Formats: sequence, C-alpha cells, structure tokens
Amino acid sequence: MAEVLVELGIAFTALAVAGALAARADQSVIPAYILAGVVVGPYPPRSLGPLDLTLVSDLEVLEVGAELGVVFLLFFLGLEFSPDRLLARPTRLLGVGATDFLVNFGVGLGLAALFGFPWLTAAFFASIVYISSSAVVTKSLVDRGWIADPESDVILGTLVFEDLLIAVVLAVLTAVALGGGGVGAVVASVGTAAAFLSALAAVAAYGTPYVQRLLSVEADELFLLFAVGLTTLVAGEALALGVSEAVAAFFVGIAFGQTDHTHRLEDVVGPTRDLFAAVFFFSIGLGTDVTAFLDVGALLAVAVVATSASKLASGVLGGRFYGLNRRRSLRVGVGLVPRGEFSLVIASLAAGAGTRIPRADELVSFTVGYVLAMSVLGTVAMQYVDALTAFRGGAD
Amino acid sequence: MTVYETDVPGVGRKFEYEVDGDDRLVVLIHHDGKREVFRRRSAEADSEKLFELDDRQAREFGTLLEGAYFQPVDLDTVQVPLGDGIIQWHDVGSGSPVVGRSLSDCGVRRRTGASVLAVQRGDETVANPPADFDLDAGDVIVALGTRDEQQTLADLVAD
Repeated sequence: MAEVLVELGIAFTALAVAGALAARADQSVIPAYILAGVVVGPYPPRSLGPLDLTLVSDLEVLEVGAELGVVFLLFFLGLEFSPDRLLARPTRLLGVGATDFLVNFGVGLGLAALFGFPWLTAAFFASIVYISSSAVVTKSLVDRGWIADPESDVILGTLVFEDLLIAVVLAVLTAVALGGGGVGAVVASVGTAAAFLSALAAVAAYGTPYVQRLLSVEADELFLLFAVGLTTLVAGEALALGVSEAVAAFFVGIAFGQTDHTHRLEDVVGPTRDLFAAVFFFSIGLGTDVTAFLDVGALLAVAVVATSASKLASGVLGGRFYGLNRRRSLRVGVGLVPRGEFSLVIASLAAGAGTRIPRADELVSFTVGYVLAMSVLGTVAMQYVDALTAFRGGAD
Repeated sequence: MTVYETDVPGVGRKFEYEVDGDDRLVVLIHHDGKREVFRRRSAEADSEKLFELDDRQAREFGTLLEGAYFQPVDLDTVQVPLGDGIIQWHDVGSGSPVVGRSLSDCGVRRRTGASVLAVQRGDETVANPPADFDLDAGDVIVALGTRDEQQTLADLVAD
C-alpha cells in the first residue's frame, strides 16, 4: 500500500508541476500532462544523468482513474452540449459542420490509405485527425479575447457539430471493435449499441422531470455522489453490453444538461472531472515510448502538415459560409487546428480493443505525438494569426 | 435598445449591446460569475477587452451604472406623476387683481378648482397657507391642478 501511495503521490505532484509550467508558458495543460507521464513512466527517458526517472509503474488504480477521466470528459461534453445552438441556425451549422467533416475526415482516410492502414484502423485514424479539442480551443478563444467576436460563434458551432458527430462515430467504432469477428456479430453489437443509446436518448429527451427530482438534494456532497454514481453506473453497464462507455456518459451528460442543475454540476463535479482527466492524460503518457515516435515519424510529419492545412481550408470555407470577411474566416480555420482530449479518447479506445484493430500500437504512438504537436501548434498559430491580422476599427 | 444573446458552450453566456450602429459592448458572463466586458467599435474591428470583474464586483458596479446612488436630473423633463394633475408656479405681478386680497377672498379654490400647496415669498415658503392668507406682489403661488384649472388660475392672477 505504501508503494502505491508514494507512486500516486509522485504522479499527482508531477501533474501539478507540469500543469504549472504549461500555465506559465501560456500553453494548454493537456500536452504537459502527457509529458509528465512520459517523463516519470517506465519507458524512455529512463534517467536524467544519475537520476532515476522511472518512478511510476502502470498502476491499476491509474488505469481506473484514466477510465473515469474518459467518462467524465464525455459527460461534461454532453452537459455543455446545447441542442438549441444546433437548432438555432440548422442549415448554416449543418453546412459548416458537414464541410468540416468531409474535408478533414476525408483527408484522414486518404492519409491512412497512403500509409497502408487496414480500413477499421483507417476509420479510427480519420476520427483522430478530424476531431478538434473543445478544451484547448475554448480556452484559447477566451484567453485571446476572440470569444467576443463573431468568429467564435462559427468555431463553437463547428465544435458542437463535431461533438455530436464524434459521439456517433465512437458508438459505431466501439460496436465494431468490440463486436469481434464476423458480420453477424458486428450487426448484433451495433444493434445493441443503438438500442441502449436510444433508451438513453429517450431519457435525455423525455425524462427531464425525473432526472431533475433525482438530483434535487440539498448537500453538495450527496449531489456529487449522485451525479458521479449515476454516470459511472450507466457507463459501466454500457461497457458490459459492449457499448461505448464514453458515448453513454455523453448521453447522461445531455440528460443532466436538460435540468436546471447544470451550473451546480459544473461547479460540484468539475473538480472531479479535472482530477480524472489529468490522470487519463498522464496514463497515456505513461504508456508512451518516445522512441516509437521515430517509427511513425514520417506519418506524423505528413499528418501534421496535411491536417493543419485541411482544417485551415475547411475553417475558412465555413467562415465564408457564415458571411465573415477573409480575416475572420482565417481565424475560424486557425481556431479549429488544435487537437487534444478526444483524439486521445479515440486512440485509447483503439488500444483497449486490442488485437481486433490491426496496428493499434502504432496508432496510439502516432496520436500522442500528433496531439503534442497539434495542441502546441494550434495555440501558437492563434497568437501568430493575431499578429498577422491585427486590426483595430473605429477612429481612435 | 438591442441586445443579442448567445450561449457559449463551456464558457457561459455572451451579450452584445448595441451602442450606436455597429459599435457594440460585449459582455461575457462566465459560469463562475466572472464578467468580461469588451468593446467592438465596428463590425470589422477586433474586440478590445475593457475590464473584468468578479460576480460580486459586477453586481455592485452594475448598480452604479443603473443610477441607484445618483441620477442626474434633467429639469426640462421633470414629470411628477399625479394622474392628470400637474404642479405649476404662478407669479403674482404688482398689477395683479389678487394683490392684497386673501386666498378665500379672491376665490382661488372656488373659481379655479386648483389647490394652493404653498406660497413662496422671497426666501420663505408658506406651506398649506390658510384661507385668510393675504397675497402680495412678488409672491409665487405653487398650485396643484389639471391643465385647465391651472390655466384658469393663471388668468385670475394675471396683470
């Protein structure tokens, strides 16, 4: 027990230090958390001169924490998901979202084909490069002050569309990956997933009064336990049935988001999400062997360039679609470049499915390198585009 | 007044207040209560952040903006809501027929229907003057009544 406690202590301390450094450098914490895991984990770098850096082994408790991290990341995605926003200007948003999907998912499939990935792995690969990071993007928008300008509406609208689509993609991919062998098994498992998720969706749509009553408890600690308990239970049951626990949590989040407890959930459950999400990024880092980056180096380099370009292009198109001028449209493109938590969620899903997904290890190492590169590149590009397109209107 | 409201997923709500044409004030209210206030001078311009306040500060500062502590008064538009009644000031000139007569004597109340609230004489104000109060040149009669009643009174005290 003492060893486990010490290792956990080291893990959390490493996370805290990495997060503090990232905040100081004006960067997203996500890559910092991964790097913390890489440094103190069992894979190289193993030592710094005489200093032994292999401090944390792959603890089972961390794996559980990481799993909860995925569940709560998706739970919050559902909680913040605003159907009204999607329905406010459906045609426009659909146009922007579809453009974003077709261009970027298409480029992803093309790249995967180019590097000879089998079709199921290619589908995972395309999803990984398609989905932007809500966390990194939203934080950058607030930090840069773009949040007050029209381009943020387009960026956030696109993210809402991506969130919904990724839930669908995750549901299908999980069903296929966990469904095992033949076509019959796949059909059965997709059917199970569809039934389970439809039931959850029905609760989200029509069960609001019941959910509302369930969460109406006075004490914050009971409220926290109810929310965490329900979410984890539904996610666990989903996984037991071969349905994506992440998507199940997403639907639970949507159901909770329909009540007027949303703010309280954000306040009370937010810290829980932060803790477990950090553990998730850390455990991704723990399992990362940086020497494996060399094996996927060519793919990484090509993907970083190609997918940045494709996000930029689809973003500019989307911005024009919303009637924004060239400068603002360019910002939409740049704003959608960062990739982060969801790419990692998809990669960890691929890793979890084991041998059923060919070349999954390669996919995971690629994703870690890709997220590290893209989250930093995305935030830097945002600063750079500001300098490039700075404009102050009005007569001062 | 036009206000545009949008939901900002993961952040809070955004309000845009039209100041003048394209010039807009943008208020971002975060879920944690923090307020950020920006100004966008034209549709093409970038928003400049003016300031940010926490929830408590924003509420307090908001009452200042609302004029809860101090409202400048524009005397031209002062309206005292008294139904149809209005308050008017009538100067008693030296040639006025009411000079030297008491209020009841010249029948202010009886003939006009207006009530005399006060009579101002120099620096003094006699509130609710009695019926036998004698009017003098230079007095100012403060009366409450409808527009017609005030007009009748004005005719009565006119030179």
